Amino acid sequence: MLNAIEVTKQFGANRALDKVSISVAPGDIYCLLGANGAGKTTLVNLFLNFLQPTSGTVQVGKLDVLHHPLETKRLLAYIPEQVTLYGVLSGLENLAFFSSLATGDRLSRPRLLELLEAAGLPRRAADDKVETYSKGMRQKVGIAIALAKNAKALLLDEPTSGLDPSAASEFSELLVKASNDRVAVLTTTHDLFHAKQTGTRIGIMKHGCLVEELRSEDISHADLEALYLKHMKS
Amino acid sequence: MFAIIAAKDLRELTRDGRLLWAGVLVVVLMLTAIAVGWNRHSQVSNERSAGQALDYDAWLGQGYRHPHNAAEQGMHVFKPEPPLAIVDPGIEPFVGSTVWLQAHRQSELKFRPAQDATGLQRFGTLSPAWVLQVLIPLLVIVIGFNAMSGERERGTLRQLLSLGVPVRSLLLGKALGLASCVAIVIAPAGLVLAIIAVASLSPGERLDAVYRLTWLVAGYALYLGFFIFLTLAVSALVRSSRAALVLLLGFWVAATLIAPRSASEAANMLYPTPSRLEFDQHLAHDMGAAAGESWLANFGVRTQWDPSLPLSKWGAALKVDDEAGYGVLDKNFGSLWDTFERQQRAQQWIGLVAPVVALRGFSMGLAGTDFAQHRDFSTAAEAQRRTIQDIISKDLIEHADPLGNAHFTYKAGPELWVTVPRFNYQLPPVSFALAHHWPSLALLAVMFCLSVALARYAFSRPLMR
Repeated sequence: MLNAIEVTKQFGANRALDKVSISVAPGDIYCLLGANGAGKTTLVNLFLNFLQPTSGTVQVGKLDVLHHPLETKRLLAYIPEQVTLYGVLSGLENLAFFSSLATGDRLSRPRLLELLEAAGLPRRAADDKVETYSKGMRQKVGIAIALAKNAKALLLDEPTSGLDPSAASEFSELLVKASNDRVAVLTTTHDLFHAKQTGTRIGIMKHGCLVEELRSEDISHADLEALYLKHMKS
Repeated sequence: MFAIIAAKDLRELTRDGRLLWAGVLVVVLMLTAIAVGWNRHSQVSNERSAGQALDYDAWLGQGYRHPHNAAEQGMHVFKPEPPLAIVDPGIEPFVGSTVWLQAHRQSELKFRPAQDATGLQRFGTLSPAWVLQVLIPLLVIVIGFNAMSGERERGTLRQLLSLGVPVRSLLLGKALGLASCVAIVIAPAGLVLAIIAVASLSPGERLDAVYRLTWLVAGYALYLGFFIFLTLAVSALVRSSRAALVLLLGFWVAATLIAPRSASEAANMLYPTPSRLEFDQHLAHDMGAAAGESWLANFGVRTQWDPSLPLSKWGAALKVDDEAGYGVLDKNFGSLWDTFERQQRAQQWIGLVAPVVALRGFSMGLAGTDFAQHRDFSTAAEAQRRTIQDIISKDLIEHADPLGNAHFTYKAGPELWVTVPRFNYQLPPVSFALAHHWPSLALLAVMFCLSVALARYAFSRPLMR
């Protein structure tokens, strides 16, 4: 569903990605680990066509992102580290707005509430202004937007960063549910525990290169940590 | 899709208070301007129509007297104020509305060449037009400067673009959102004007006002559309909201406050007008020369009212003297007025960088308060004066005393006065204004298209930087 083939991204003299190839199939939860500046977010931005590759091909479905930017975005849902919403609008209004843009349909209030509830946002908070929300609550609205979009692929950029353990756990459950619904999930994270527990596949990036790729069931928590540290120190 | 974006923007702007406070201020100013304008218009119209009627009645009721004395006393004619002067008073406050039709010379017209040479389009009168031309663009800037830069700074632009929203829809949605804000702010004033039009105008006037208002709406829509797309373009092009605000405010100051005055000065430098003293001296010189030639040709004397001329010829002499002056007056006033019109045409072109200059001319023209319509009235008033002169001279010729000793004892009565027609000036139709101001409308359309093109360019560049 998500394919990066020999993708290189150059910013002036700095090579942010160096011939990276990854493939995320429907039902996969691909966790991309790496230090800051390793190129994880750059890769996500390429899938969103916020950046264009210097060389290589980025595909969503079978469509080249470069040539079909709008069509590929319609297949995706994106949840950044900080879900940014309109502070003076309520969670429900934000969801109504973004879901209308994403789907072209105006969802009913009960349906919107249902989506927010499915994302874990308490019903009583739905009509509060988003400027009063915690980060976790905003993330939940972001998830509700993704759910409303009924996307084929999810792109998540450090989604659990800054969430309390309970919220992070709830979030992981939603990812597993999405995976069960045959959604392809690509998530960047610093959280090795989250990657091992939630991911079906794990990639480790360093200096723009994909240095390790493995199935999470093939490695224990301890070994993953050791492997990660080994790559970071080398 | 763009309607969804526009509705969201409108809701956001309503809630964050900017639209509320700025909008309330503008609405209050607009309604105040309409109230002041309507009050002034009613007062002026009543005074002028009453003055016109009284003056003509006084002419008819002047009893028996020497016709030349009656011509010396003359009459006054009053320029009717067009109904849309409430919207845009134009040059009305700066030019006279009353002309004294006296014997021998065209009366002083009150646009005062020396003093108003560069000031036909003064700035600063509180009117709905001024609010629309100066304050509404500022409102657009204040509520729209961060339309795109703010989305980028907050991070919501990533969210929007990740959904696959086409940038064209984004641009249209943002533009529609800003346009809706402007419409909300203008709507109360529009409603009040509509009520005034329905309640106070005759059906004929109402129809004319509707035509004029339709064209005015088109002109102002292009002008405000220019500001909307320019604001969006700058907001998308620059890196921060602060930079966008500074740039846009700088443009607003230059384009709406400085440019009109500079345009006026530049036009005056390009086509200078004489001072009042110079104009009067030149006119007196030309009148004297023309009269001298005419007296010599007709009566064989070099000086006007030469004592050698028999009194029985005074009627003919008056006619000769007046007719000698007609051409001179036409030439001098025509030349001065042509210069004013050239100045205004020159100013129109400055509309290519400062559309308010083009709009002001267009707005005054369609409101019926521009110089072209003032000139039309002045020409009609002068034609009325000449009619009086010709009637009086003709009567004096017909009643010339062959012996000459009864010349000053002759008295005409109401049967002569009534032959002078009532001055019945009709404001020129809307086609007159359009014929004079279509270049301004074309310039506004060009500026609007350029702003749309700039905005499309700004939105076609990578928005995520």
